[in-house]
Amino acid sequence: MAATSATVPSRSAAGGLPRDQLLELYYWMRLTRSLEERLVNLYRQTKVVGGLFRSLGQEACAVGSAYALRREDVLSPLIRNLGSMLVKGASPVEVLRQYMAKGDSPTRGRELNIHFGDVEDRNFVGQISHLGDMVPVMAGVTLSFKMRKQPRVGLVYVGDGATSTGAFHEGINLAAVQRCPLVVIVENNRYAYSTPIEQQCAAERLADKAAGYGIPGVRADGNDVLEVHRVTREAVDRARRGEGVTLLELMTYRRKGHAEHDNQSYVPSGEIERWASENDPLDRYVKVLTEKEGFSPDALAAIDARVTAEIDQATDEAEASPPPEALDALEGVYADPARMPVLWYREGVRSAVDRHERPSSWGTHDG
Amino acid sequence: MATIDVIMPQMGESIAEGTLSRWMKKVGEAVKRDEPIFEISTDKVDAEIPAPSAGVLTEILVQEGQTVPVQTVVAKIDTEPAAGTGKPAASAPAPAATAPVAPAPFAPSPKPAAAAPAPAPSAPKPAPAPAPAPAAAAAARPAAERARTGHVAEGNGEMETAEERLRRRSTPLVRKMVAEHNLDLREIPGTGIAGRVTKNDVLGYIDSGAGAPAPSALPTPEQATAAPLPRGPAAPQPAPTGVEPWEGDRVEPWSRIRKLTAEHMVMSRRVSPHVNTIFEIDYTRIAQLRAKKKKDYADRGVNLTFLAFIAKAAADALRKHPALNAAVSGESTILRRDINLGFAVALDWGLIVPVIKHADELALLGLARAINDLGERARAKKLSPDEVQKGTFTITNPGVFGSVIGTPIINQPQAAILCVGSIEKQPAVITVDGSDTIGVRTKGMLSLAFDHRIVDGADADRFMADVKKTLQEFPEAAV
Amino acid sequence: MAEVTYLEAIRQALFEEMERDPDVFCMGEDIGKYGGAFKVTDGLLDRFGAERVLDTPISETGFVGAAAGAAHMGMRPVCEMQFIDFVSCAYSILTNYVATARYRAFLPCPMVVRGPSGGYVRGGPFHSQNPEAAFLHTPGLKIVYPATAADAKGLLKAAIRDEDCVLFFEHKYLYRRIKQELPQGDHVVPIGKARLAREGKDVSIITYAATVWKALEAAEQLEREDGLSVEVLDLRSLLPMDDEAIAATVKKTNRVLIVHEDTVTGGIAGEITARIQDLAFEWLDAPVKRVAAHDVPLPYAPQLEDFVLPQTTDIARAARWVAAY
Repeated sequence: MAATSATVPSRSAAGGLPRDQLLELYYWMRLTRSLEERLVNLYRQTKVVGGLFRSLGQEACAVGSAYALRREDVLSPLIRNLGSMLVKGASPVEVLRQYMAKGDSPTRGRELNIHFGDVEDRNFVGQISHLGDMVPVMAGVTLSFKMRKQPRVGLVYVGDGATSTGAFHEGINLAAVQRCPLVVIVENNRYAYSTPIEQQCAAERLADKAAGYGIPGVRADGNDVLEVHRVTREAVDRARRGEGVTLLELMTYRRKGHAEHDNQSYVPSGEIERWASENDPLDRYVKVLTEKEGFSPDALAAIDARVTAEIDQATDEAEASPPPEALDALEGVYADPARMPVLWYREGVRSAVDRHERPSSWGTHDG
Repeated sequence: MATIDVIMPQMGESIAEGTLSRWMKKVGEAVKRDEPIFEISTDKVDAEIPAPSAGVLTEILVQEGQTVPVQTVVAKIDTEPAAGTGKPAASAPAPAATAPVAPAPFAPSPKPAAAAPAPAPSAPKPAPAPAPAPAAAAAARPAAERARTGHVAEGNGEMETAEERLRRRSTPLVRKMVAEHNLDLREIPGTGIAGRVTKNDVLGYIDSGAGAPAPSALPTPEQATAAPLPRGPAAPQPAPTGVEPWEGDRVEPWSRIRKLTAEHMVMSRRVSPHVNTIFEIDYTRIAQLRAKKKKDYADRGVNLTFLAFIAKAAADALRKHPALNAAVSGESTILRRDINLGFAVALDWGLIVPVIKHADELALLGLARAINDLGERARAKKLSPDEVQKGTFTITNPGVFGSVIGTPIINQPQAAILCVGSIEKQPAVITVDGSDTIGVRTKGMLSLAFDHRIVDGADADRFMADVKKTLQEFPEAAV
Repeated sequence: MAEVTYLEAIRQALFEEMERDPDVFCMGEDIGKYGGAFKVTDGLLDRFGAERVLDTPISETGFVGAAAGAAHMGMRPVCEMQFIDFVSCAYSILTNYVATARYRAFLPCPMVVRGPSGGYVRGGPFHSQNPEAAFLHTPGLKIVYPATAADAKGLLKAAIRDEDCVLFFEHKYLYRRIKQELPQGDHVVPIGKARLAREGKDVSIITYAATVWKALEAAEQLEREDGLSVEVLDLRSLLPMDDEAIAATVKKTNRVLIVHEDTVTGGIAGEITARIQDLAFEWLDAPVKRVAAHDVPLPYAPQLEDFVLPQTTDIARAARWVAAY
């Protein structure tokens, strides 16, 4: 079957980025991986509750793509895009507080892991668990840019699994027909929980779906951070020029389970090890930086140390945060009313009838 | 045109026949569903029997006075073809206790009609008695119904049906109203579904004067009357006297309060043999103490009256003479533990008797303050229901109007009532340094009316002697 | 001032709000050139242009989600469901994303989802639904369902101005059948307040939307034929609901009948009944009864639809029963 979308051949690195930015990309990837490792340790100490989702092996997808955005552009990450959120300005302490269900977490303890956002300043929108839903939402976000004639762009991630949802389809179709300035990145990491890509979709290339929406589809090597950056930048620029939606398919691999509790028994043996040893995005980038770009291992080690120190400090700070106040659960459902009532049996039983209340409907000794 | 049979019902398991004592409808007359159409008399009960359906009474097959077996067809009704009224009720009274309360869903009558279900021909249990017509709201309920309800409420072991429960328990609103007014639901005729008591039934019952002890139940301020209304069972209606107005006369139908008062007065005199004993009290010492302490009391916001002293003396004496702080119950005397003094207060529209609970536990100051307060609030109509309830002894004070001696009527169900006559300076014999002379003393009469069923003359006089002694030797320290 | 139909009142509200606030825009199927399936949005495209009156693909999830995204950015979208029966296509994104956005992410969704609702029009099962029960238990959403032209205008304005997502159900049977002179000026009806449509003292009928008119008819009949004084309370706001007005009418008459067009099982009359007995149990002199649709998908043939749905005679009969209890 002829491909209807383009596969971009890997080119050599650099891609026009200044050296400090090259190092920055490394810093973000290292921070992503190390922060997740810290979260795993905290999880095993039961300091983190709920689920823990790792993006081991996918750091380049998240970091490289987010790096192509401006501050005023809006990002919609999924659980495996921690790297993109860090690039966009989320701090490690915020992430830790979220995971530890602290009262001063960005969602005040109401949502889990990295489901949080900030549309006032850093411009990212927290996802919900229903996959695909963020695509229509981001269609609307970018529609507002178009209506207000703002030179802003949106970027939304979906996994290979999410491309099967109706929400994905409706959202991307709507964005495409309205020519919204939106970049849709399909991170094809080969698995949706335990479902391999072959069982998810009969098409060989998810990027080919673009044709159905009348938009360009591009496939690239998701584990090459510079490549990811380049193709994303092209799509972002296209959107900013008013040329509408682009669908990017980034090929990568999910080295850990769907979440920490998933033992990946469905993965053919040896597959994970192969990817780890042959196609780790950090290892590949270190090689590029040291062998091609001439950075010293010390420079990278310094970044590693900086990352560790940051994470240590963030962990201490987050652990010191208090849990949420129980009554806070009732606030902020609406703008008005600002607070929902406590149910009657919680506050001590109060009679619904004032003992002395004598409505005139009883008609007895009025007056 | 559909014709249905009306049958002689079975009013008890062992009943085999019934006598048709009276027809309430004639052939050709229209009947409404559940409207009583004939009366029967059986060994166990007399009852009014309701029509099973609306329609026209076309045939009477059993005459007044005839005795026929149960299930005999006594009459026929031609039901109308109009929807909703022709069919017998979906809710036959079930033989077992599990019958749902299912009143005729779409009763054609606009008024809250009595809606007892139609008797089922083969029901082994007695058919439920009908509720009386709305017009007879004040009438006593049919004997059968009363018997049945009483039967159930006393718990004879039978499981009650849903309808029975409805008649016994009614609805939340009605129960609340009945509790508020200390009524007995069983005494109130019901016109609601299955003969239950509705809110309007309760209101009608209260208005008709059949017993409600509202705080505003008010006799007029006559010196002979000092009796507010009882909490007990309803007094019977006074018999009509056949008195006619003459030309120029003005006829004032009794207000609710007047009705209640009249009944109570008659009942009290009838129930308690009243005896009066009268003592003369020398209040000179009290007058002095009062003059001395009046300002102190006024500074504390209290008007110190003679009545306060009298109340204190009476409360103390009641402790020593429990027979006067009592009530009659059947063939027993209830000796009340608490001393709750009622005070008759004259208002523009009548008399009211607020009660000071545990009056014996108050010092003179507290008692005076309570008397002031209750009087004020009685005049301002701000008393709560429990401030006019549960009195055990009453004091009335027509002396303020000038009466010298009163012969009051006991405030049922109490045992006695103390009447304070006017207090004035009188000439009196006083002994100074061993020789007698005429001096001026402040004096007044106290008369006690008591129930001679449970208070003998000696008890009453000993009580009064103690009151007199306390008043004449009132300790200054207690003021 | 001339009388205006319920439908025109809605259109007026849209016009006025779009004039007043440039951030208000409309999205839906066939609302632009065609003016909407019922012509509610007729004229909006000409006045405000294609940027603010968007014809969307058939994608209820798509455009409801997009509305949320645009609302996060400060716009005020008004989504039209061609028939409210199609709102269930967007059920997931509405209840999972839109309703929770403020609470879990501090992302406001000041948007409106509106659409023609209700039956009595021989529309069959998919053009006659009343979906309020499906959303009543979703914290974060608001629901209004006006019965009069004035309320339709006033509540739509309030809905557009509300900072949260409001579901605005319009009764298609009422669109052209009722007319009213509208109040002058900027007429806004607050969300959360019921309207006493008729005062009475014997029985209260609590209802909303088209059955308000049937209840009023029944009340007239009951007054004429039975001498009953019937009070009719038009809830008009279903979430939040006016508990105070509900309690007040129960305390006044002590006998309540709840009427709605939705099915009896799971219809919001059950919720109202629970609230009544929570708020005013001791004032009840009769059980709280309901008049609602039979528990069947709504059939098309007139005889079938008329049987299934509540009619004036049903309301009158039920009210009589309650009055006689």
